[in-house]
Amino acid sequence: MTQFAVFVLHGLAYAGLLFLVSSGLTLVFGMMNVLNFAHAAFYMLGAYFSYSILQWSGNFWLSMLLCPLILFVIGALVERFLLRRVHQHGHLHELLLTFGLAYIITEGVKWIWGNYSLAVSLDGFLTGQVSLLGITYPVYRLFIIGCAVAVGTAMSYVFYRTRVGIIVRAAVDDHEMVNALGINVPLVFMLVFAVGAALSGFAGVIAGPLLTTYPGMAAEILVDAFVVIVVGGFGSLGGALLASLIIGQLQAFGVLLVPKLSLALIYLLMAVVLVVKPSGLFGEEA
Amino acid sequence: MRRRSGNPGSVFPGIALVGGLLAAPLFLPLYHVNLLTEVIVFALYAVSYNLLLGYAGLLSFGHAMFFGTGAYVTAVALAHLPGLSVGSAILLSVAAATLAGVVTGALLLRHKGSYFALLTLAFNALFYAVATKWHSVTGGDDGLSVNRPNLDFLGVHLDLSDITTFYYFALITVGALIGYCWHFTHTAMGRTVLLVRENEERMKFLGYDTNISRLLLFTFTGALAGCAGSYYALFFEFTSISAISIEMTTTVLLMTFIGGTGSFLGPVLGALVYTLLHDKLSDITDRWPLIMGLIFIVMVLYVPGGLSGLIVSIRERLAGTAGKNAAQPLEGRKP
Repeated sequence: MTQFAVFVLHGLAYAGLLFLVSSGLTLVFGMMNVLNFAHAAFYMLGAYFSYSILQWSGNFWLSMLLCPLILFVIGALVERFLLRRVHQHGHLHELLLTFGLAYIITEGVKWIWGNYSLAVSLDGFLTGQVSLLGITYPVYRLFIIGCAVAVGTAMSYVFYRTRVGIIVRAAVDDHEMVNALGINVPLVFMLVFAVGAALSGFAGVIAGPLLTTYPGMAAEILVDAFVVIVVGGFGSLGGALLASLIIGQLQAFGVLLVPKLSLALIYLLMAVVLVVKPSGLFGEEA
Repeated sequence: MRRRSGNPGSVFPGIALVGGLLAAPLFLPLYHVNLLTEVIVFALYAVSYNLLLGYAGLLSFGHAMFFGTGAYVTAVALAHLPGLSVGSAILLSVAAATLAGVVTGALLLRHKGSYFALLTLAFNALFYAVATKWHSVTGGDDGLSVNRPNLDFLGVHLDLSDITTFYYFALITVGALIGYCWHFTHTAMGRTVLLVRENEERMKFLGYDTNISRLLLFTFTGALAGCAGSYYALFFEFTSISAISIEMTTTVLLMTFIGGTGSFLGPVLGALVYTLLHDKLSDITDRWPLIMGLIFIVMVLYVPGGLSGLIVSIRERLAGTAGKNAAQPLEGRKP
């Protein structure tokens, strides 16, 4: 029973991370109809920046604050000066651009930080263990779950309860109409893209101490985030949440029950969803 | 997409190209003959990719799953079936890639555009994972070495371990395949694919099952990529997980895009430029992927037609200057 609880928590921690990455991705896609292949590369940049900030200051909280800000600026610049430029050429070029960007970022990371994994070490209470209802569990994983819950709550509050959220949701539905109502939609696009990048960077920071920081980490999480989007449905925040939770548990229990097939499980899930409901659990029918 | 068939102006450069390729080993050093063989193998891979991207308008990030399947099947078959001929190994690879194409295509083609692109990447990751984990068959990270058998066909005996002989073998067989692809784009099926890209609604209305034609094309390009993968395994006499990785998809994407998706031979040019650049750049710097990536981004931003698009527009500009000058006064008179 205790083992069961531990694996549920493991699954939740990974789900939290996945949700942080995929929510930004799905938001940007829902709104701008741009599938950002560089999204996971932003996540990786977050992890690497965090590593460097930790080396320099030793303060994890500082990197948690700074990295999303840096990624926000990078995201805004990418949208304003690269993505917007190719928008007129159509979909294919936007995909190609973000794919090329991901490639360059990965190569750049290999150049600057080296093509090997770096260990991010923490100190303070985050490294400790906590005893709860008879199980001992690392604080850091609970911290990740807490972060995901906090960010998810904040996001859904902004998205569903504020004026900014209404504008964003309206722009997802019909950006031309919103533009005609006097709202600067290109600016909204830029900010949403930047927020997506910042979220991804934040996920990268908190992923650093949990997973290893290495140049392949982007491709690894990208595929999982894609599966989340396929299963949850494109552009749906609720779908991203549910799919993250399912995949988190699937990963955790897959390792426990069928270690050899654990990797295949999430693809199996994806294939089933594709056959049964191609638009995803929460997706609208195409 | 412009095609000038039957135009004598496009026949002569073609003959010169074929003649040049046939004569290449006579004046090129062995190192370059080897390099040219690599270009030929990748040219087939890029042509198959362009049938998907340029002709059908399907952006796939998973083409390496077929390429890698082809490479692995050749490697595994040659290791486990003694006395297997080169031709049979290649055919086995094509059969396996065809099967993979039908199965994955049936799932992938439920979606279009970004969604399709995303799914292809995810499926490629699945194939990659299988190749890495299935250690007993694929050798995992260690890869598999391939023994290139000699060719015995209809009384012809060729020693394929010889670099020049293998070059001719690849040139003639792959050349014929690429020629067949060119023919394919002119068949009813090839035309259908093009028209479905342009206006799917209308094609459906005209009674075409567009899903079937897309699946057929997807499978066909998968089989071609598998064939290219088989040649790749034979050429390098080695198959590793890099053959089935996302990087191998990136490679073909870069080749095709650099060469230009708008013309049939663009990807061949792309394969040539990419392979030569790779060869030169990797001598100079370890950072060559970064340079390739930068070239790619710059081309996406400023030269979306690729090199062949650039050549066409330069040629038109050179040929069209006189005509345009003459036309200007007419335009001025309109209002």
